[in-house]
Amino acid sequence: MASPLSLFMPVIPGTDLQKMAQDLAQFQTALGEALQSIGTVHYARTLILDGAMPNLQVGAGSKPTDNYVLAIITEYDGSFDDYIGDFASQVGDVFNAFLKYVVGGAAIIPVQSNQQAFLEYLKTNDASQAPTATPIYQAYDATVQEIYAHGIKPVSGS
Amino acid sequence: MSTTIDFSDVQGTILRGYRVDLARHFILTVTNGPKAGAFIEALVDGTDGLPRITTAVHIKPKPECFVNVAFTAAGLTALGLSDQELTTFDAGFQRGATNATTAGKVGDTGSSAPANWVGGLSNGAAVHIILSVWVDDDPAVLEKVSATLRAAFAGCITELSAHDAKALPDNHVHFGYRDNIAQPTVDGAPPRKRQIPDDQPVVPTGEFLLGYDKAGGGQYSVQPSQLSKNSSYAAFRILEQDVVAFEQFLDAYSKTAGISAELLAAKVCGRWRNGNPIELQPDDPGTFLPPSEVNNFKYVAPQLPPDDTLGLKCPIGSHIRRNNPRDMAVIGTDSVHHRIVRRAMPYGPSYDPSVPDPAPVKRGLIGYFINASIFNQFEFVQSQWSLRSSFVKAATAPGDPDGTNGNAYFNISGQDVFLGVNDPKSSSFTLAAIGQGGTNNTTITGFSRMITTVGAAYVFFPSMTGLRYLAGLLQR
Repeated sequence: MASPLSLFMPVIPGTDLQKMAQDLAQFQTALGEALQSIGTVHYARTLILDGAMPNLQVGAGSKPTDNYVLAIITEYDGSFDDYIGDFASQVGDVFNAFLKYVVGGAAIIPVQSNQQAFLEYLKTNDASQAPTATPIYQAYDATVQEIYAHGIKPVSGS
Repeated sequence: MSTTIDFSDVQGTILRGYRVDLARHFILTVTNGPKAGAFIEALVDGTDGLPRITTAVHIKPKPECFVNVAFTAAGLTALGLSDQELTTFDAGFQRGATNATTAGKVGDTGSSAPANWVGGLSNGAAVHIILSVWVDDDPAVLEKVSATLRAAFAGCITELSAHDAKALPDNHVHFGYRDNIAQPTVDGAPPRKRQIPDDQPVVPTGEFLLGYDKAGGGQYSVQPSQLSKNSSYAAFRILEQDVVAFEQFLDAYSKTAGISAELLAAKVCGRWRNGNPIELQPDDPGTFLPPSEVNNFKYVAPQLPPDDTLGLKCPIGSHIRRNNPRDMAVIGTDSVHHRIVRRAMPYGPSYDPSVPDPAPVKRGLIGYFINASIFNQFEFVQSQWSLRSSFVKAATAPGDPDGTNGNAYFNISGQDVFLGVNDPKSSSFTLAAIGQGGTNNTTITGFSRMITTVGAAYVFFPSMTGLRYLAGLLQR
């Protein structure tokens, strides 16, 4: 049974959208390699939303706003709490790069040295743990490693 | 790597094995904070006739005794640390060993539940200090030092209990195995007197001492800063071993598995009872290997042999492979992030199969499992590796990418035979065999727990600087 993480992090007002988007793109390879190494994450994606837009999407050429939200959405196996130390070791540098853009992020950088505060931050900003969150739907009940063990190969370059 | 550690600021047991035969662990409650602080100060300085706290500085000739002192969260509070400061400490340490979440997490349930613990350890709020004394081999010296300490407890500290340990010949433990073989090599730590190299990376200092870089970057630290650098944590554990039940397990389940009792003993542990790793001696125990070889092995290799990705020689669920997977692929990170220094010794009379115990005998293992993070090391290893089998990554043997001969994922089940809860309704241990999907594996089931936790505490080992700070908190 996988668990959801739906991390929505308000961006510090005045943040340079292009710079943040570039950083996000720059770290995608490192993030993918780290998640592959961890071995419990089924899917993950990062998004930038704009709360000032009717459809929440950052429009091409739209004017800068102070309502950006950085989102990280994943489905993973096992206990996030127990593996927070491993998670911080594997993706800490990526999160350190992301957290400098979000409200409250600076206080937990580097996450490798602030693991419990990092965990609390993730819980606080995880919309999947909000009272209004509904249970996750999943098409299969198998862990990442179980899927691999049955012959499905890891996606090359992910 | 060549981290420089000020050994004179580190309590000795963190970085050194004392190579002694006798130990006594005092479980203490602080009844007068300021006077207890003065007592600790006298221990640090070795004044008032008290033995001096042993540091990691090598002492020649060998001293009469070695002494170290550690504190629970309640103990730090009793000595004047604020609640706000305690929130900067390790999450597991803050919870404490008797906490229900902790107990469930590490498998201290049923007969091992904190409510059943001995020597006052069941009341975690009253356990403040564990003071440990080690002496070479003379019980009279242990009694003399104990008498001195007990006299100094008067008026400030109540002794809840004292627990003795006594080494068995050749470093054996009650289940008959030779122990004290594998320890992590810690960057900057003094070399072991008897070098037993392993084929594993040197572990960063920060995995065992606060204030140094740890594996994966960053450092562990606490507030106030005086308590941080060169301090450490430990899980103090008293683990009672039912030797009769273990021998009955070996006798009954070796027949089920169609192997000898000694081979089953080697399979569940990962070492033969003479200490040789089954990875290097898969067929028979042989003669005890020299120190340069006895711990010098991996599980994964680019070719077959010697690769043992599938656990055909050393079962993936064996005790030593669960607690230190070495180079085996596990989810998360790897074993370097979750090493533990073990400083434990047997207690109770040795078991003699020719002279059955007339009545149940209390014997087992007592001591410290040391780490810089109880949460990420002791609790992680116990909760994720000892109590689960889902931590193993899917992996196939060299030259068999499709897993025709099997996959590591299918070759482990249940929990650690030694450290698991092992409810007979779900207990399970897999002896792997070549075959796709584990179809030819032999799995034994229905056995019970043979090691019971009868006492535990999560403790903090302050640096010498930290001890002085702590000693003075309520005296100022």
